[in-house]
Amino acid sequence: MSSNDGIGRLRAIEQQFDAERVSVVDQRSLEDTRTRYLSRKSGLLTLELQSLGKLPKEQRAEFGRVANEVKVKIEASLETLQSTIDHREKQASLEREALDVTLPGNRRRVGHRHPLTVVRKEIEDIFIHMGYTVEDGPEVESAYYNFDALNIPISHPARDPRDTFYIADNLLLRTHTSPVQVRTMEKMQPPVRIICPGRVYRRDAFDPTHSPMFHQVECLIVDEGITFADLKGTLERFHKQFFGEKTKTRLRPSFFPFVEPGAEVDVSCVFCDGSGCRVCKGTGWIEVMGAGMVHPNLYGFVNYDAQKYTGFAFGGGIERYTMLKYNINDLQLFFQNDMRFLEQFQ
Amino acid sequence: MKVSNNWLKEFVAIPEGPQQLATRFTNLGLAVDALESHADDSLFDLDVATNRPDCLSHFGVAREVAAAYGLPLKPPKFELAESEKRASDVFSISISDPELCARYCGRYIAGVKIGASPDWLRTRLESIGVRSINNVADVTNYVMLELGQPLHAFDADTVSGQQIIVRRAELDEKITTLDGVERQLNPSMLVIADASRAVAVAGVMGGGETEISPSTTNVLLESANFDPLSIRKTSRALGLLSEASYRFERGADVEMAKYACDRAAALIQAVAGGTIYRDVIDVYPGARTSVTATLRRHRIKAFLGAPVDDAIVETIFERLALKAKSTRDGWSVEVPSHRIDITREEDLLEEIARHYGFDKFPATLPRWSGYGSGLPLESEERILRNRLSAVGYSEVVTMAFSDEPAERKFRPSVEPVRFLNPMADDEAILRTSLLPSMLRTIQWNLNRGIRDMQLYEIGKTYAQHGERRFLLLAATGALREKSLHESERGFGFFDLKGDVEDILDTFGFELSVNGDSVPEYYHPGRTVRDGDRVVLGELHPDYADLYKFKHRVYVAEIDVELLLESKGGRPLRTIPKFPSIRRDLSLLLNKGTRYGDVERAVRAVRIPELSRVQPFDRLDAGSFPESKYALAISLMYQSAERTLTDDEVDNFTKAILDSLKQRLDAELRQ
Repeated sequence: MSSNDGIGRLRAIEQQFDAERVSVVDQRSLEDTRTRYLSRKSGLLTLELQSLGKLPKEQRAEFGRVANEVKVKIEASLETLQSTIDHREKQASLEREALDVTLPGNRRRVGHRHPLTVVRKEIEDIFIHMGYTVEDGPEVESAYYNFDALNIPISHPARDPRDTFYIADNLLLRTHTSPVQVRTMEKMQPPVRIICPGRVYRRDAFDPTHSPMFHQVECLIVDEGITFADLKGTLERFHKQFFGEKTKTRLRPSFFPFVEPGAEVDVSCVFCDGSGCRVCKGTGWIEVMGAGMVHPNLYGFVNYDAQKYTGFAFGGGIERYTMLKYNINDLQLFFQNDMRFLEQFQ
Repeated sequence: MKVSNNWLKEFVAIPEGPQQLATRFTNLGLAVDALESHADDSLFDLDVATNRPDCLSHFGVAREVAAAYGLPLKPPKFELAESEKRASDVFSISISDPELCARYCGRYIAGVKIGASPDWLRTRLESIGVRSINNVADVTNYVMLELGQPLHAFDADTVSGQQIIVRRAELDEKITTLDGVERQLNPSMLVIADASRAVAVAGVMGGGETEISPSTTNVLLESANFDPLSIRKTSRALGLLSEASYRFERGADVEMAKYACDRAAALIQAVAGGTIYRDVIDVYPGARTSVTATLRRHRIKAFLGAPVDDAIVETIFERLALKAKSTRDGWSVEVPSHRIDITREEDLLEEIARHYGFDKFPATLPRWSGYGSGLPLESEERILRNRLSAVGYSEVVTMAFSDEPAERKFRPSVEPVRFLNPMADDEAILRTSLLPSMLRTIQWNLNRGIRDMQLYEIGKTYAQHGERRFLLLAATGALREKSLHESERGFGFFDLKGDVEDILDTFGFELSVNGDSVPEYYHPGRTVRDGDRVVLGELHPDYADLYKFKHRVYVAEIDVELLLESKGGRPLRTIPKFPSIRRDLSLLLNKGTRYGDVERAVRAVRIPELSRVQPFDRLDAGSFPESKYALAISLMYQSAERTLTDDEVDNFTKAILDSLKQRLDAELRQ
């Protein structure tokens, strides 16, 4: 046997492999091919290599070199085929696992906070960041804290049993959260800087804008050097935070027995940005609060030095602010607790 | 109050149209509820604040308008032609209670002819919604609307004894008022009387017997000033509100009484003829003492936030008829009688702010050092609400009103807070529990086709001894709806219990169930109670029937204050360095043995390395006696110091098994 014959056979094996490799399409045909050429016992190339010893000594080197070259080539080619097949199989498996991702997600039920809680917290946070402390107090209140100590005279219409719920002669359901202001001032000397959120009661029949029970938040500050300009600035800042930076605040003179000067507070209409619409009745303004400088008579009730201290107070309905913020037109929705309403809030 | 633009123009030459004037009113604090424009006049519906009775007339409103524009104010023009005969010769007036009547002015007009009012008078009254009656009555209304002074005209010939006595009503005295209603009077009420009887309820309404009639020829005209509180009480007690009482109870100008009396007399003569007897009979025991208020210059900036020029301040005072004198550090101001609201420095500061303009002052923030904070348990409450949302509960806010029968069913022994003046029978008390309103909320939603709910309320309950906050959870229907992804699962007792355990765990509490009896509105076999802290379970079917619930409703009542006050949370545990070992036991237990007993028997062995006990399977029937059931539990062992050996763990488990055998007659299932 000459080496030329041997090398010719090696080249034939190589050509045969090249012809066969195109038919390797899966793991099985890959394994068959590998066995046919490289199997330790019967591989075509293995058998050729076993014949190496039979060659004349001087031809062995050349034969060995070519045999190794063919082997390396076949091995490399098989490796490439392997990775191609691996890739293809992975793709196929991913395709089999595909889901109909257009189906709706499997949502767990999450709860929702009540809109009045959401807004109360939001208002509280704005004031806490401005340095105010939140205070609360009882809802069943004495006429002293609800009226007398707030400079509301015995003849004032608000005291009428048609407007206020009475439990006894001098015991009632608070009609505003102002009693908390008096109670707080009784406990401490100025500086006082508080807000009082809470439930209040007035004998109004239920309708889209009235309820015998609603929620208020009031603000009180008493210190040296507090001015009417500070009242304006604080209201302006609060409304910008709450409704957005473009919101304007306007004060109109008004009268409440516990403040002087007193004011009604309007914000530029949140629905039309003040250009006039159905909600603001074309005026561009919406009334939201009552406000004013603390009436000096109040300081007498809590032993504050009216010559030394000044202060301001204001208050509004949480329902009203919530209605404006979320464009809700019926106050009764807050207390009906229809799930379809509640689940729209976070 | 309806105000006519034309009428205002009689007193001040308004330089702007009604729209602009409405804006002025707003900026002055005279809120405009409505502006009606007609071909020949515009009407403002003004909401006059209770402290400004001086603006309850056209002249009074004109005074504010004149001040706002800086224009002169022209009082009504009239000439009074009196006869030689003296009123005091035909009539006498006396006030027996000067505390309640500071002044009474009377005039006598003889020989009038009662008839319809002339067109100008009738149309003017009708334009602002006042019905025309007859020429004399119309004049009294006209002058009241013009000057703010309520007036009354008597048919002088029906007043007996030629005298007017202002006195308190007698016990059981009666009067039939102009509206034809007989009124029962009492001594707290002030009346105008003649020699024999009451002829008017002072400041509220005249009597029918002395009313001006078509045959009246002689008129006695009253222009008086009464105590506001007394008028208010009388008017409320009689349920009788009139234009006169409305003005008197806010405070009429005592100095206006005589002028208005003259004005009305002159007008009566002009429209009904007659002779005006000489002089007003003016009884004025409560003569007004002048009021002076001072304003210190530095207070303007200190109180309002910006200085205002002296010249502007003085102009405002002048226009408001406040007679100001300069003092060393400001002004001393004599207050006119119509401004009963001004007594002190702050009142003057308000006038300056109002007339200078609220918009002229800057917007600043108060100077401050310190920090803000929420309510004491605020952050805990936030954690609680977040947890409730996470486990699927939505918050409701319900009315605090309730009715006693509904509340009694749940709190039979609590004395509720009752109203003297409820709006409705079923809103006559404050709730004693959160349950009825929650159940009504569920009912509301069920009635609207919403079947699956998990709700909570954090709210106050009220009793005669005080107010306290509670947390109520309620759930009904499906926990998971049927979908492509999973099948439907109804909400059950253990879902509620798990949620409550989760919530308690958030605050470092463990639900400890003891033998406490449960309230009778709970299903006796599906309820647990942890002292006064928690009750949770299924609503008793009888109570569910009350609300017509077709599905089971689960509720949990939690003392939220106790929960929040705990400040919550456990100390963090370190992550164990050594592996844990698990052993499962399949036990045969006597029927009736509860899991709680099993866990107690396991724990009784007191193995510190036992880190968890968990039941995971239960069989009620199988290859074991009928008196038994099978329960599989897992025991987890863990040491912080070392890896436990199998031998150790086997010994622990053997000890536990012994305890179970001994205490509960348990066997290992083969």
